[in-house]
Amino acid sequence: MKKEKLLIVDDEENIRFLFKEELEEEGYEVDVASNGLDALEKIKNAVFDLVILDIKMPGMNGIQALNEIKNMNKDLPVILCSAYGEFKQDFSSWASDGYVVKSADTKELKQTIKDILGIE
Amino acid sequence: MNLIDIFGKIIVISHSNLEIASRINAILNIIAQDMPFDEAIVYTLDTDKRLTCRYKNDKSALFHLLNEYRSHIGEGVVGSVAQKRMPQSFTNKDVPPRLGCLFYPDLDGFIEKYKAFSFLPLSDDSYLYGVLFVGSSGKERLNDSEKVFLSMVAREIGGILRSNQLIISSKKRISELATLSELGKILSSNAIPRDILNNIAFIIAKASNASFVTIRLAHSFLKLDSQRFTYGDFESTSGEDVIRLEEESKKRGKTVSPRDLAPEGYKNTVVTSLYSAPLTSKGRFLGTVTIGESQTVSGPTVEENGRYLIETIANYISSGLENTLLTTKLKDVVNELNNAQKRLLEQETFRNLGEMTANIAHEIKNPLVIIGGFTKRLAKKARLDHTENKYVEIILKEVARLEAILDEILNYVKESPMVFKECKVSDFIDELVYLFTSDQAWDKIEITREYDNDVPSVPCDDQQIKQVLINILMNAHDATHGTGTITIQTGRKIINDRPFASISISDTGGGIDPAIIDNIFNPFFTTKEKGTGLGLAISNKIVLNHGGHIQINNIVDKGATFIVYLPLKNNIIREELI
Repeated sequence: MKKEKLLIVDDEENIRFLFKEELEEEGYEVDVASNGLDALEKIKNAVFDLVILDIKMPGMNGIQALNEIKNMNKDLPVILCSAYGEFKQDFSSWASDGYVVKSADTKELKQTIKDILGIE
Repeated sequence: MNLIDIFGKIIVISHSNLEIASRINAILNIIAQDMPFDEAIVYTLDTDKRLTCRYKNDKSALFHLLNEYRSHIGEGVVGSVAQKRMPQSFTNKDVPPRLGCLFYPDLDGFIEKYKAFSFLPLSDDSYLYGVLFVGSSGKERLNDSEKVFLSMVAREIGGILRSNQLIISSKKRISELATLSELGKILSSNAIPRDILNNIAFIIAKASNASFVTIRLAHSFLKLDSQRFTYGDFESTSGEDVIRLEEESKKRGKTVSPRDLAPEGYKNTVVTSLYSAPLTSKGRFLGTVTIGESQTVSGPTVEENGRYLIETIANYISSGLENTLLTTKLKDVVNELNNAQKRLLEQETFRNLGEMTANIAHEIKNPLVIIGGFTKRLAKKARLDHTENKYVEIILKEVARLEAILDEILNYVKESPMVFKECKVSDFIDELVYLFTSDQAWDKIEITREYDNDVPSVPCDDQQIKQVLINILMNAHDATHGTGTITIQTGRKIINDRPFASISISDTGGGIDPAIIDNIFNPFFTTKEKGTGLGLAISNKIVLNHGGHIQINNIVDKGATFIVYLPLKNNIIREELI
């Protein structure tokens, strides 16, 4: 069976590391990017099934990156993942497919990915 | 002594500088001695239109008896002479004259001594001042030249009385004017309302010789610690009467005294006269002023001119008082505005503090997620014994607790239920402009306001909408680098069949770079060195929560216009606008 390929975009190295480990353990293939531009570059060159995007990043922030990604491929699902709970109910207006508040407990993130990818 | 010589003496006295009483008494003494007469008496007219003996020759025997009776005009001989203004002379063969209002039997013995009496009116063309009475025991009757002479004397005495009355009324007028001028001075002073009102009460009391003056202000007019200002004491003697009178003068809208009301309703035993006048300005009831005089006070009484005086004063002080008190009200409003400004500044500080806290919380959140996340992984991979597992559990529990705390901080623009009120948007703007313009950083910014007065009130959470306007105004200020023009307009617009109120804020700050304009509502997007990137994001969110939206009209190199649209109630102004 083909593994779903995820891209984690976060400026914090250890967050990328944590999420990569956690999600690989779930059976996904995981790549990482440290900022918006880096992420766009990777998406241009490879096929991903889903992107996990931090909002607050230097340079191009998550919302800008989200718009760029959707411009390139509007069918590529993107989950916004931020420490702020503030904007949770706004995610759909920003064309994102999900919004997860960052937590040491990755249960919600994993469940949101499964829901979007349609995995039982 | 012939009559001409006598008249010469009289003229000299009449034109002298002596007191009125001395002049008249001297004239009466001259005619009593030189004519001669036993009695030479002058009745004068009191303010209650009754004739009273007031002046006499020194040897008069009748004065003390006649003095006890005061006759109305038309009553008795004196009254009838006064009424007809025609002299009347009698001899003792005539029926003894009724000198006063009564036929006075005790007088009979005296009267019989006198053979000739004469009564002459003291009057000019328009006014009656009194009556001159002369009586002689020696003469059988008065001859014609004596009658002519007496009428000349009567004219002289009438002249003295008339000039005296003129002097009295001018003195009264002068004292009134002095009172009014004093009142004017205190009304235009900068004193606090309490002092002004207490002073007014004092001045009126002095002017009217009243034992008390009390001013009561309507509650609806101005809220003060006390609504009553009093000189003297009325509560111990006629407190209830005063309050009833005040109510009545308010109800009737004119000056009232207990006599105007049911007399039995008033105890009024101590206070002889009481007047209450309403204070009204431009049809507005401000309160009442009441004066009262107790029986122990003698001299010119309130009774005599109380109504006139209180009416004059009430008219005079009403509008001045209103102005004075409105000034106070204005001061209160200014104070309130200053307080509102302080509160707004505090809110602004809190808002910045909130954003700062959120930033810090965000910075802490990431390492915490990492600590917690890896602790979990460690626990899963390592084979831990029971105790070690317990340690891990504790770490995870504490991480979860910290996360919960941070989440709460990070939700600082809480999804608290909005408190909707009907608000006038121009009021917010005025409040904010006032707030900003008192800040030095805004000195070189010209703020123009153009209000559409037909914008109805908007249902909104005023605190949140103010926050939105603060954000946009602060951005406009930053865009102009502190120098330029900001124009604020209000208006109405139908969008997709629904009515909206609009608040448009334009600046001359050169506009927004088109490359970034799509991002300006995104959270954490900022062009400012110290910006959090949350201001417009949150503003946008607030406006969206209200069912409205923010529109940007950007003219590069000129300026940007932010238009906040807030929905109006559906049924309002729709027809008007279409």
